[in-house]
Amino acid sequence: MTLATLTKPWAAFSYGFLDASAKREMRRKMLKAIAVPGCQMPYASREVPMARGWGTGGLQVTLTLLKPSSSVKVIDQGADDSVNAASIRSFLSKVSGAAETWDTQAATLIQSRHRIPEERLRADQVLVLQVPNPEPLRPVEPNMSVARQMHADADYGRLWLILYEQMVRSGRIMEGAAYPALVNRRHVMTPSPIPRWDVPKLHMAEHLTFLSAGREKRLYAVPPFTQVEPLVFSDVPYQVEDHGALRCHRSGVTGYYMNEIPQDNGGSVFELSDSNLGIKAIRRAEGAQVEIGPTWYENGKMPQ
Amino acid sequence: MTAALALLAPHLMTTPPLLTLQGVSRRYGDVVALEDVSAAVYPGEVLGIVGESGSGKSTLLRMMNLEDTPDAGDYRLALPDLPGNLFVLDRFARRMLCATRIGIVYQNPHLGLLMKHTSSGNVAERLLIAGERSFAALRGRARDALEASEFPLNRMDARPFELSGGMQQRVQLAKAIALEPALLLLDEPTTGLDVSVQALVLDTLKRLQRDRAITMVIVSHDLGVIRTMADRVIVMRRGRVVEQGLADQIFQDPQHDYTQQLVHAKL
Amino acid sequence: MAYVATRGGERAIAQSERLYRAELGQIDAARVDTLRKTLPMLIDRVMGEASLYEPDLAALALAQAGGDLYEAVLLLRAWRTTQPRLSIAEPVLQDRLFTHRRISAAFKDIPGGQILGPSLDYAHRLLATDVLRGRPFTPAPVDPAPTPAPACQPSLAAWQKAHGLVADPAPVEVAPDDIPDLTREPLLFPAKRAHTLQSLARADTGGMLALGYSAMRGYGSAHPTVNELRLAEAEVRVRHPRGTVFSAGRVKVSQAEVTSKGKSGLLELGFCATLGWNEVKVISGATLDLNARGAAKGSPVEEEFFLYHTEPVEASGFCIHFKLPHYVTFQSSLDALRGAKAAPAPTKPEQVPA
Repeated sequence: MTLATLTKPWAAFSYGFLDASAKREMRRKMLKAIAVPGCQMPYASREVPMARGWGTGGLQVTLTLLKPSSSVKVIDQGADDSVNAASIRSFLSKVSGAAETWDTQAATLIQSRHRIPEERLRADQVLVLQVPNPEPLRPVEPNMSVARQMHADADYGRLWLILYEQMVRSGRIMEGAAYPALVNRRHVMTPSPIPRWDVPKLHMAEHLTFLSAGREKRLYAVPPFTQVEPLVFSDVPYQVEDHGALRCHRSGVTGYYMNEIPQDNGGSVFELSDSNLGIKAIRRAEGAQVEIGPTWYENGKMPQ
Repeated sequence: MTAALALLAPHLMTTPPLLTLQGVSRRYGDVVALEDVSAAVYPGEVLGIVGESGSGKSTLLRMMNLEDTPDAGDYRLALPDLPGNLFVLDRFARRMLCATRIGIVYQNPHLGLLMKHTSSGNVAERLLIAGERSFAALRGRARDALEASEFPLNRMDARPFELSGGMQQRVQLAKAIALEPALLLLDEPTTGLDVSVQALVLDTLKRLQRDRAITMVIVSHDLGVIRTMADRVIVMRRGRVVEQGLADQIFQDPQHDYTQQLVHAKL
Repeated sequence: MAYVATRGGERAIAQSERLYRAELGQIDAARVDTLRKTLPMLIDRVMGEASLYEPDLAALALAQAGGDLYEAVLLLRAWRTTQPRLSIAEPVLQDRLFTHRRISAAFKDIPGGQILGPSLDYAHRLLATDVLRGRPFTPAPVDPAPTPAPACQPSLAAWQKAHGLVADPAPVEVAPDDIPDLTREPLLFPAKRAHTLQSLARADTGGMLALGYSAMRGYGSAHPTVNELRLAEAEVRVRHPRGTVFSAGRVKVSQAEVTSKGKSGLLELGFCATLGWNEVKVISGATLDLNARGAAKGSPVEEEFFLYHTEPVEASGFCIHFKLPHYVTFQSSLDALRGAKAAPAPTKPEQVPA
């Protein structure tokens, strides 16, 4: 018997990059996050070979969930070929052997920055949202320790107060992306900087969503069939971006979230933000056999 | 209610007290802030607490607002769903109780107000904590509370730091009464204001008390303020109650040496 | 696939990286070796911020990053986190340090003596431009002292404690193997003492200087006196599975202890130590530590404030992340903005519904 027979062969890093102790911690914190929906769980947040703020939190969750049979999709601003999404996706497949995909339907694991795909996610899919700032209370309380206490107390009066004052000042709610939402009637979370358009997709969804902030070392989850209610006044309805009637100038599709592209002539054209949906729509129009799954929004409206 | 407390009650009072404090003691290190203090406040009356600075009167008020827990003592409010000693409530229950059933106005408006938020917002926050979710109702109820505090409504969306001291106190008052609390605590509410402004704020307080029959506890080192406001008076010194009685009695015929000194110094 | 043709993200990032690396040229062992030998202070700084003592790897990281310190630290940290923990070294005691330099500003002389050691403190900062004209700069040889300074020195604070001068909070007794490890646990506040010291040790030198300097200039409450500053080498003593303790080598460390009179009327101490020799960092860090007690929330000398904001990998990463596209969030804000312009005028106080 030699030392070599007793040890594993040398490798530059573990399967899925993170070592066993890191993954164990991640698994524990992810389970806790599922157990208390919307509650931020602090975790060690290892350094990964990517800069902080570039999806390292989402990456650690994805790396923990990956297996060789996974099929992984990564989007940034809704696009699979966005530079950082491409970089993360190739890293994920390199360290895990998982298949890469752009197709929302085919993916088992979707890591995203700032968007939830337009096609409905299924119970066998997991969504991982990258989170820059996990603390919905940051605008009213920058100190993390105090904010933590406020969550424990369910002390959200000042958060509501911001909305009240927006109504007073502007006549409407002025929150853009990252609209705060009450999860499971207990914890207010930031759904990450997804547009308001995407927040209702989390409510009573079939799929599991993890939200993870690597730099701030916090992760939280929205388990399947969990209530996610944006903070709204009873007499001021929640307002998503006014994109329901916009038409994508590439695919001709209407009724989804769009990117606005300013034009030389002073106007704008729009294109689908969910780039894979755009590609599928174009290919279908060209006569290819393409399956487009059911979408959350129908005719530009979210069914109640 | 114990016999001792019953003896302290004004003779015409037939209802049980709204607030009962018994045997409250609190030390901070070697400093005795409160020593075996008992007090009762009856529905609709104004209890004044006087004493020099360091006498424990503000500490006592903070205890009534559940901002601090004593080393010993019992605190009860005769309200539905609130049996037992309030000092043993957990953080969460305390917070809800203070937000919904007790109003407080501090001498220092920075303690009572969010200076960067609008005046109406300061009032609305109370309503939000209590669960009000209609914007129209928030707006309307905030306005009503500010109006009742005789705050000029054209400034209702100004931020407190843009307002004068008297106006800031009116915002605090509006915030305190927005939920029609069972108990209103006033901690030197007019101290530091100009004499004329002070008179106007006291006027508002008197009117509110008369119109709504709010049960109040007012702390002041200023006997003039206490005399204007209070039905009954507690005199405190070095953390102890040295004398208590009807306001007229205390001011006309003080029994304790210390009260005599206070009253004579004032007159 | 007209939709995709205008993008091509994967090719773009590959070429962008090539362009950067082409600038740096070939990296070989000789370059790494030269960096390690010629830039020891820089290597020390990078090792400290990476919390990984490995001069060869630090030099390699610097070579790979072309000298970008934040990149070099990130490279090392990302490598470090994948490495197994073989053993936990024994705690290093002050009076066991092999001290090269040790000065105190608090007393003219101190038990064990002041040892100036290597320093540019008193050098005239003149650029040796002759070097560029082909005349190498050769440092004058060192004249050894007649009697060498003793290798180990007592701690000055120990003397002060013996005289009852120092506020001496009771230490939390933790077995060496159970010392909390910041790289394996999240930093929460109020922070464990070990986490605070580890976080200071890994902190960004420049960031710590900026915040420490603000405290020194007067935004802090305590004005530091350097009680003791040391540049030293520490023996890494490791327990063999058979139970014997042996030295696995030495690492360079620096530490500073600063002091001021506290509210208690006694001296209070602030402490910071790091891997490598880096005087500015440990003096700044110790000053922040000194000021942290009772600091107001949100002030630069509050522990949560300075530990969060001097973390080099987090701070630099977040800063450069703003280069990433944000057009989805921007579109969302734009929608609210346009909606507000189109909406009826905001609620005026006089229009308040009854």
